[in-house]
Amino acid sequence: MSFLPAPLAVRSDAPLARALPVTRVAVGGAWLLAAAIITSTAGELVLCLAALIVLVTASGIPLRPLPRRLFPVALAALALTVTAGLGNQADADLTQPALLVLGPLRLTWPGLLAGLVLGLRVAAIALTSVLVFAPSDTTTLADSLVQQWHLPDRIAYGTVAAIGLAPLVAADWNASGAARRLRGLEPRWLPGRLTTVPDRLFVVLVAALRRAERLGLAMDARGFDSGLPRSRFRPLQGGWIDILIALIGLAVAIGALAVGAGVAA
Amino acid sequence: MSAAPETPPRVRAGGFGWTYRDRARPVLDGLSFEVEPGQVLLVLGPSGSGKSTLARALAGIVPHALGGTWRGHLSVGELEVPATPPAVLGERVGIVFQDPDSQMVMPGVADEVAFGLENRGWPRAEMLSRVPEALAAVGLAGFEERATATLSGGERQRLALAGVLAPAPGLLVLDEPTANLDPVGMEAIFGHLARLAEGRRHTIVVIEHRLERVWPLADLVLVLDGQGRQTWFGVPAEEAARKALLALDGSRGGSDAAVLAADAAADHAMLAAAAAPGRDVLIAAGVAVDYPDERGGRRLALAGLDLRLRAGERIGLVGPNGSGKSSLLGALAGLIRPAAGTVLIVGSSGASASASAPGLDPARLGSARLPALLGLAFQDPEIGFVGRTVWAEVAAGPAADRPDEAAIRAALERFGLRGLDEASPFQLSQGEQRRLSLAALAVRRPQLLLLDEPTFGLDRANAEAVLDLLDEGRAEGQAQLLATHDPRLLPRCDRVLALDGGRCVFDGPPQAFLARPPYVPPDPWRLIGSDTGPAQVVLGTTGLAAAEPAFAER
Repeated sequence: MSFLPAPLAVRSDAPLARALPVTRVAVGGAWLLAAAIITSTAGELVLCLAALIVLVTASGIPLRPLPRRLFPVALAALALTVTAGLGNQADADLTQPALLVLGPLRLTWPGLLAGLVLGLRVAAIALTSVLVFAPSDTTTLADSLVQQWHLPDRIAYGTVAAIGLAPLVAADWNASGAARRLRGLEPRWLPGRLTTVPDRLFVVLVAALRRAERLGLAMDARGFDSGLPRSRFRPLQGGWIDILIALIGLAVAIGALAVGAGVAA
Repeated sequence: MSAAPETPPRVRAGGFGWTYRDRARPVLDGLSFEVEPGQVLLVLGPSGSGKSTLARALAGIVPHALGGTWRGHLSVGELEVPATPPAVLGERVGIVFQDPDSQMVMPGVADEVAFGLENRGWPRAEMLSRVPEALAAVGLAGFEERATATLSGGERQRLALAGVLAPAPGLLVLDEPTANLDPVGMEAIFGHLARLAEGRRHTIVVIEHRLERVWPLADLVLVLDGQGRQTWFGVPAEEAARKALLALDGSRGGSDAAVLAADAAADHAMLAAAAAPGRDVLIAAGVAVDYPDERGGRRLALAGLDLRLRAGERIGLVGPNGSGKSSLLGALAGLIRPAAGTVLIVGSSGASASASAPGLDPARLGSARLPALLGLAFQDPEIGFVGRTVWAEVAAGPAADRPDEAAIRAALERFGLRGLDEASPFQLSQGEQRRLSLAALAVRRPQLLLLDEPTFGLDRANAEAVLDLLDEGRAEGQAQLLATHDPRLLPRCDRVLALDGGRCVFDGPPQAFLARPPYVPPDPWRLIGSDTGPAQVVLGTTGLAAAEPAFAER
């Protein structure tokens, strides 16, 4: 009984999947920075379009389950666009024709455009994150962080092991909810249900700590972090594809910034 | 740090004892034994006898990772455990624990096996040849690129064994390696254990309660009592077997064949009494359950199951892991909305069983109406606890029909929890936790009790106590559905329902099931397959016919 979304079956021969994870992390960082700085719709649109093109052509991520997975993000982006638009200064300008009137609130075309920047920023950040993390498993990401960026083994592989426990924690969470329902303790309506969250968290935390302790002992018994230098079962090396991705990625970030600045000017 | 296999070491203990830091009593006391290189030592004892602590000490986890007071000597080869850095001891010793889920470090199978080799700094070329070898040795050849999450419990435990065997440790410690497995997974582990024992390339210390399988493999037997003291050490002779059975029987005392025979006779009498069919309590028709799969499609876990359960009837639900048992329990409890089919629980007033309103669907009822209708006991009682004290756990429930103080007191008394009112449920022993979870359900007298592995983690004495308590509920007309991997529970059921691949493959009396199980497994089932009187089990080559050690500690 797994209640976490199933992992996406990503094609491992796609260009993005063949690159080092740290390359994607670096380029993704540049894109996220650009998305945060840019203040124009056009600049954010460039980032979103670039991310979409990469997603479809070079990521190897199966497209069919994506609309459903990304639906919450699209909804959030749309909601942000409208609410930020409604609250915008430009909407108070009575010379502008109103697209929508909600009591004292007016939505105008310039106001909507201003809101659209925020909505597109959320979309750009979400799409970029998918491109950074979806194409490789956590092991490869940890391998790359340790081998290229010299992250300590203890942190990298400790995290990998902990992520492996996540489905069990999710199952525990669901079981603790089921137990409350069957014991007659589930409040009838949603706000009331939130009151059981602290108790459920306590139960899940106790179980998670016990499991983590067992896992820690098993890892120690297998010589983890015993002071010996670790060898590498999967050595990772960069190639021309990393250079290519880094160059294209930086060009897109700079281009988006330039478009953003150009429109603003 | 090389691929050359370790020579098996001699293991020696002299007056060895250990007390955990926050405990008053030693968990192990005065252990003295010696295991020759390449021999197999079987360690037996009831819950709380310190078996796992001995395993941890051999791997150096005690005293290096856990605090406490050490006494006496324990050595692996020429290495004295407390004086040896864990990294050095780790080169010599591999340990497999009981829960496969909390031993998996890496998401990929090959990486999991390589993990221990990387930690020891093996050169890559040697890892590349050793990883497939280790996988092949446990029957997982070709699994290299699989994700560990897609493996069954039994396969994961074999993977854990491969990961531990890969660095070729001289001493192999197995701490109840089959406790969490279904019969198929268990059988595979025993097969590999037998091969390892024959190979004589490792000294092996195994903690295992399934005597019928490990007894023939043991060169030596160490028996501990409930206080962690050594009551027997020697070759597996009759005397050892008798001691072993006594040990596994725990506090109940007098576990000779006569007592077991009397128990079995009582069971048969009860079965006969329960044979008169009661009214229907549960009617499930065409229940199907499916889950989303990796590719955005659906995977069928339960394919259209029909089930009727009558008042006072107990059904044993069996089947390998992934056969649909959990899905069925979830659907019957109304926790999983079935993709197809209906689940109805018939109200206790016989009138409600009319054609127009045959019963209630638990998935559509408000939470407050459920406790009087049905109860579900989780495999891990801890995850189901809702109270901060033992008293609050039993008292918790919808305000409308809160049990009165006398009823709570009586339930605590009956389930052996007297004097623990103010204790935290999380600090109880495994047996107490199990009894508490059942007490909290019993106090509401649900008509239907669903139980997921109700004897999981219990030694024989505790498992017997649980079954006796279940018998009381059944005598009052409660219907019980009991999912289990433990074939020894089946003779105490009225019917057995076996699932495989989401379909019912057997529905009939337990004797017929045990005589001819409809799917692969094997010896543990066959050994108890006699249909009259107490089952007999022959312990290895000793020629000792002893009453079977039912419900041994897991």
